[in-house]
Amino acid sequence: MFDQPSNLAPQVETPVTTDHKITAENVNVHYGDTHAIKDVNVKIDDKTVTAFIGPSGCGKSTFLRCLNRMNDTIDICRVSGLIELDGEDINHAKVDPVQLRAKVGMVFQKPNPFPKSIFDNVAYGPRIHGQAANKAELDEIVEKSLRSAALWKEVKDRLHAPGTGLSGGQQQRLCIARAVATAPEVLLMDEPCSALDPIATAQVEELIDELRENFSVVIVTHSMQQAARVSQKTAFFHLGELVEFGETGQIFTNPHDSRTESYITGRIG
Amino acid sequence: MSLYLESPRTKKRNAAERRFQSYGLAAIAAALFFLVVLLGQIIGNGSGAFIQTRLTVPVTLDAAAIEKAEGSMMKTSGYRKLIVASLSAEMQAKGIEAELDSKAAKALLSSGAPNTLRQHVLANPADIGSTVTLKLAGSSRLDGYMKGRVTRESISDDKAITPAHLDLADELIGVGLLSKGFNWGFVTGNDASDLRPEQSGMGQSVLGSLAMMLVVLAVCLPISVAASIYLEEFAPKNKLTQFIEVNISNLAAVPSIVFGILALAAFIQFGGGTIGIEAFRASAPLVGGLALSLMTLPTIIIATRAALKAVPQSMRDAALGVGASKMQAVFHHVLPLAMPGIMTGTIIGLAAALGETAPLLLIGMVAFVQTDISGATSFFTDPNVGMPAQIYIWATRADGAWYERAWGGIILLLIFLACMNIVAILLRRKFERRW
Ligand SMILES: Nc1ncnc2c1ncn2[C@@H]1O[C@H](COP(=O)(O)OP(=O)(O)O)[C@@H](O)[C@H]1O
Ligand SMILES: [Mg+2]
Repeated sequence: MFDQPSNLAPQVETPVTTDHKITAENVNVHYGDTHAIKDVNVKIDDKTVTAFIGPSGCGKSTFLRCLNRMNDTIDICRVSGLIELDGEDINHAKVDPVQLRAKVGMVFQKPNPFPKSIFDNVAYGPRIHGQAANKAELDEIVEKSLRSAALWKEVKDRLHAPGTGLSGGQQQRLCIARAVATAPEVLLMDEPCSALDPIATAQVEELIDELRENFSVVIVTHSMQQAARVSQKTAFFHLGELVEFGETGQIFTNPHDSRTESYITGRIG
Repeated sequence: MSLYLESPRTKKRNAAERRFQSYGLAAIAAALFFLVVLLGQIIGNGSGAFIQTRLTVPVTLDAAAIEKAEGSMMKTSGYRKLIVASLSAEMQAKGIEAELDSKAAKALLSSGAPNTLRQHVLANPADIGSTVTLKLAGSSRLDGYMKGRVTRESISDDKAITPAHLDLADELIGVGLLSKGFNWGFVTGNDASDLRPEQSGMGQSVLGSLAMMLVVLAVCLPISVAASIYLEEFAPKNKLTQFIEVNISNLAAVPSIVFGILALAAFIQFGGGTIGIEAFRASAPLVGGLALSLMTLPTIIIATRAALKAVPQSMRDAALGVGASKMQAVFHHVLPLAMPGIMTGTIIGLAAALGETAPLLLIGMVAFVQTDISGATSFFTDPNVGMPAQIYIWATRADGAWYERAWGGIILLLIFLACMNIVAILLRRKFERRW
């Protein structure tokens, strides 16, 4: 489904420079006969937290998964339209999804650490991408990643204990550490706090705010408060359409679309 | 209504629950009962095969007699005379008056006893000229008498042994010349001809089964893991793969004799005959193993696919999410998690193959093997039998002694199976995720 180059694709050799990290134009996604994403256009800025909100089943996860081509793994899923990362078409025939995913990391809804040690969890990405020349470098990457996931203090004495033995919130931060270890440019997070208690949620939210300094973060959330707290830009999805996209403050205080207003005031959802 | 009182609804529900539990208990009790009966039967009938009646004979190895025996056509008959003479002398020394005529000697001694003596002499030439005390196998009738299978009544029509011989046996027991001991020959020996059950052993068929199991493992494990991984993780889900999947399930339900005749046609007649592959000959464990592989493959593929399916999708997502390729995701994360399930499926498949008889009969793996197998290639290609085929052959023979051997063979088969399972459990432990 991705094999033919999109006719909208620019020349791969001469990337167009834009101030947007990711631009999506006329993106449509079908699961078999289900039209899950309808003509979505969105521009995601660098070093910004962008929140996707909307009632469940509206296509937030589906759209997020388009951004690192995780939908490739679903047989019945067809994606069309243009998605560019730094001006390069990510669905271009020459793009290897593996290379793309090293640049666009992902954190999933349910914490899913590997059944390996904490160290091996974080070191896995750098290892398979050959990002560390030796053990010392690898140790350094692991420590840096765990620090940026605000987990270092809690686990530094038990790096070789199983990652699955951590608490839910710690596991999710471990997954974040694992995702940032490959030094991605964009971090996609699909409801990263939905399985966490309020304290762990607060920690992860704080973390997201810090991650913004180095990454472009896209976060899916069903909690409007969370979107308001962590994001600068917010996109509201409804029934597969992008209804409204803008500054978070504007969306929450002065929505232009009546559906957005209904949702944030609690009438849809 | 008070919480201390059971409402009628609760009462009914609790009764139903208790009833269900008692059904479950009854089912387990019945299963245990059958298991105990089965094991009791097997051990009761088969343990005799592991015990053998032996005559303790101090044989005087007269140099001249041995030279004469080695020089003659029927080498063992000379040794036989040596044994009979020594045993007679020993009986007299112990004060037994009855005479050991040649008929009595034939009735009491195994026809294999002279060969046992000859092998001893060939192995220890230094013993010639001295007297060595050997434990020589008794005949199968005598063996039956010692184990209670043969009685004075049951031999009324028997030409091989008379009540007088049994009286002599009683006297021999009295002076300690006749006793029972563990029968290593049964564990290590070969098949023997119809009239000599006391000399038969399962050893040859154990090697045959071992060779076949190695072939099955070497063929099935790589093929089924590769096929399952491809079908489960890589293949597009379309009509063709669906068709393949359905047919794999169908193959698992094909009667094993069909695979036997397929192996006969494909390996022996076409491979060995038409193409002329030397190793593909009838009765070879290699061919037997390939035949069993045909029937084991679908079982292992189904189990392996189930094990792969049971690995949560989140593991694959996690690996792909950090930029692992599909193959890396499978080999680094999915396969290790599926390994215990794959091991279990493999051992179930192997166990079924181990007990399979029908395909072996069709490809002629019922060879009568008298000589020991030597060397690695002949281990897989020399004619041999499998354990179940050997048991089947013995069970079809008439004498009660063979019946006992067949049961004894089943005990060895079960021990073999238990060993396989233990290896599998140890391997599983090694692979099992530790957290
Ligand atoms: N793997 C899938 N197969 C088929 N349909 C799917 C699949 N994943 C999602 N969908 C459908 O796509 C639509 C959007 O789903 P999703 O993106 O998960 O919504 P959200 O994350 O906003 O709750 C839903 O109607 C859902 O039923
Ligand atoms: Mg979702």
